[in-house]
Amino acid sequence: MAILLIDWVGAVLALLVLAAAPLALGSSYIIGVLTVALCFGIWAASWDFMSGLTGRENFGHSLFIGAGAYAAGFLNVTFGLSPWWSLLAAPLVAVFFSILMGFPTLRLKGPYFALAMLSGAAVMQNLTIIFSEYTGGQDGLNGLEPLLDPPLAQYYFTLACLALTALVLKFIANSPWGTILRAIRGDEASCQAAGINVTFYKIASLMISAAFAGVGAALYAHYQLQVGPDLFAVVLSINIIIMVYVGGMGSIYGPIGGAVLLNVLTEVLRGFSEYRLWVYTLVLIFIVFFMPQGLVAPLWRRIRAVTR
Amino acid sequence: MTALLNVRDLSKRFGGLQAVKDVSFSLAPGTITGVLGPNGAGKTTLFNLLTGFIGFDSGSVEFDGRSIARLAPHQIVNRGLSRTFQLARPFMGMTVRENVEVACLAPRVRHRGTPRARAQALLEQVGLGAKAEQLVDVLPYGDLRRLEIARALATNPQLLLLDEPFAGLGGSEIEPLANLIKSLHRSERLTILIIEHKLREFMQLVSEVIAMDFGEVVAIGPPAMIVRHPRVVEAYIGTAAIERTAQPAEDGLGAL
Amino acid sequence: MIQILVYGAVISAVYAMLAVGFTLIFGVARILNLAHGSFYALGAYAVYTLTAQAHLPLWLAAILAVLLVAAFGMLIERLLVRPLRRSSLAVLLITLAVALMVEQALLLTFGSEARNVPSMVSTTYHFAGVDISGQRLLALTGGIGVLLGLWAFMQHTRLGLAILAISQDAEAAQYMGIPSDRIYSIVMGLSAGIAAAAGVLVAPFQTVIPGMGLLPLVKAFAIVVVGGLGSIPGSIVGALLLGYSETIIAFKVSIEWSQIVSVAAVLLTLVLRPAGFFGKRAAF
Repeated sequence: MAILLIDWVGAVLALLVLAAAPLALGSSYIIGVLTVALCFGIWAASWDFMSGLTGRENFGHSLFIGAGAYAAGFLNVTFGLSPWWSLLAAPLVAVFFSILMGFPTLRLKGPYFALAMLSGAAVMQNLTIIFSEYTGGQDGLNGLEPLLDPPLAQYYFTLACLALTALVLKFIANSPWGTILRAIRGDEASCQAAGINVTFYKIASLMISAAFAGVGAALYAHYQLQVGPDLFAVVLSINIIIMVYVGGMGSIYGPIGGAVLLNVLTEVLRGFSEYRLWVYTLVLIFIVFFMPQGLVAPLWRRIRAVTR
Repeated sequence: MTALLNVRDLSKRFGGLQAVKDVSFSLAPGTITGVLGPNGAGKTTLFNLLTGFIGFDSGSVEFDGRSIARLAPHQIVNRGLSRTFQLARPFMGMTVRENVEVACLAPRVRHRGTPRARAQALLEQVGLGAKAEQLVDVLPYGDLRRLEIARALATNPQLLLLDEPFAGLGGSEIEPLANLIKSLHRSERLTILIIEHKLREFMQLVSEVIAMDFGEVVAIGPPAMIVRHPRVVEAYIGTAAIERTAQPAEDGLGAL
Repeated sequence: MIQILVYGAVISAVYAMLAVGFTLIFGVARILNLAHGSFYALGAYAVYTLTAQAHLPLWLAAILAVLLVAAFGMLIERLLVRPLRRSSLAVLLITLAVALMVEQALLLTFGSEARNVPSMVSTTYHFAGVDISGQRLLALTGGIGVLLGLWAFMQHTRLGLAILAISQDAEAAQYMGIPSDRIYSIVMGLSAGIAAAAGVLVAPFQTVIPGMGLLPLVKAFAIVVVGGLGSIPGSIVGALLLGYSETIIAFKVSIEWSQIVSVAAVLLTLVLRPAGFFGKRAAF
């Protein structure tokens, strides 16, 4: 799907809304919620780039997030470096893990690949707890510094990173690279027969996915100012997949919408206190039953169609 | 004239089954050669071995003077050896043109003009130009076959392996496809190796036949001679009878 | 040493019950049931409610708990899973949703403090210088009993054979006139019931909290992957392997290291032999 003028208009509008939101709604609490939502947006978009396009669902995306976050934590807390180094180190460490896990697992068929990545993340989570003297165990590393002060400034920086992520990933997805990734989803053997080095593209897209996830992790770590083993948890990977599902797999922008939507929904439901998770789960069930294509992407495609 | 493809004593075993045994043959450039044999004779396995989808146990395969042992399928394609699949496996969810475009992105042909434009031109060549923007999911079977050929041509092969291109096609679709193959053979100066069951099409297209049975080469020769060869007749007696009932009185197998 | 032997056996028996139920519903209906841990938790909570609040005798509460959870499992299959069967991702997400809802429901109803379930056997046995609670031994024998019962059912009843047939070849079974939809329900009920039985047996000595189903799910999953999805003997062997490796490592090294065994085993299995070490064929 080529990028049309209407898409640019939509993107700019979304950007403006996200930029104006903290100013309009006022509290530092909202800024916090939205910053986290944007980080999830980066994670969701990066997951979609690899798994949404190739159809090789990665159930261990949290591996890259945890790795990037702890890299940020170590550099900032243990070694005292400026938090800005995290933006370089976190993606690099995440990419390293993507290569480490990618090579042995990408040759596996669909669900096996998903499970292998999931267990990779789980192994890292356990290792983090085992080697607690270095990692702080369950409590993790505390005392990270923020990237920018005041939080509003860091929010805008995060927003800029999200915009850049969306731009780059969408650009690659719309390039021949994207065509090849979608062909891999179609039939790997036919792809090979077409002269394409499928292994290279799978590993490369996993690396790209990991890199951006790492950036999101660094931003998250320097917002929360602490990192813990929960960042490797399966729950995190699954939450991200749910956001992608709600947003619309394969579109890159849909997952971002899904991430923002679900994060905001969770906060809105705070009013329901104990019943919150029930409502969240019911919404999830509703979408799975009635909107298998997701919410955000199909909606945008309708709007697009109307304006042509 | 040196052979384009030289296969010597090629063998492959799957567990207890010897799928291909000591197969040897050569293909001269510019020829159309056929591979004949009943089901289970090892024909598709042979293709899978030649194209790198399966590794062989022993023997050698030389393409254009170089060995292709242990090369990955995409590397063999980029050396100039393409294939089509017996069961068409297009990239679903993508348009007809995109399907061919993927092959135009192969390193061997990546820089020959815009992949998109080349894909369109290839589709015109196989007669699918008008359907370029259609989703492949709704394409009729006959067109999928042409798409396969376009995809295989996209990588500018010297040798094209066609795996039962006429399988599943009805009477009126067969001749146009056969003519397409013939014209491409001339215009692209291809060497073609074709597996096929349907003897009539075979006889018209190929100049030489490699007959296989139980994984071994049983005879190599011109079509007229092969059809009378005792071992071939023996292998086909059952299949010929089935083919005769499917295509009553027209298949030219009277000699058998 | 004796401790490791006995504790390992108890854990293995419980793991085996969880793994067999999990692999059964996968082998038969291709469902990766993320709510499996919920059945385990519900079993424990059901027996608690039936004894502490309904004041039923323990043995009756236990049986009722298993039956109720089995029925719940069948209900879930019929209402939520069956309509979504075309998409395995949708089924996965639905079972996840069920798991979340059950945990939340338990949290809302019972709060987050651990609940006390009285032991069915309160005597402690002395065995070669080691104390072993009677309840643990009951869990071991109960587990073995349930598995033997399942085996007998699968081998000697028409329904059991039908289930075995479907798990080996779903299409062929349909041609033979075996009603797969009904069978899926029954297998889900069986799977839930066995998981609940495990919950009932361990409730007296395990921490009964709303989130108690998560870890067993992970373990069941790991065992089933190593043993081969859909293979019952594979699950049993896998359960023994995991149960004993965890016990040995927990005793000799540390508890934290013992927890990594399950996930590391999954990773290694997938990379080395994706179909599982004892599975007869690739499950996917």
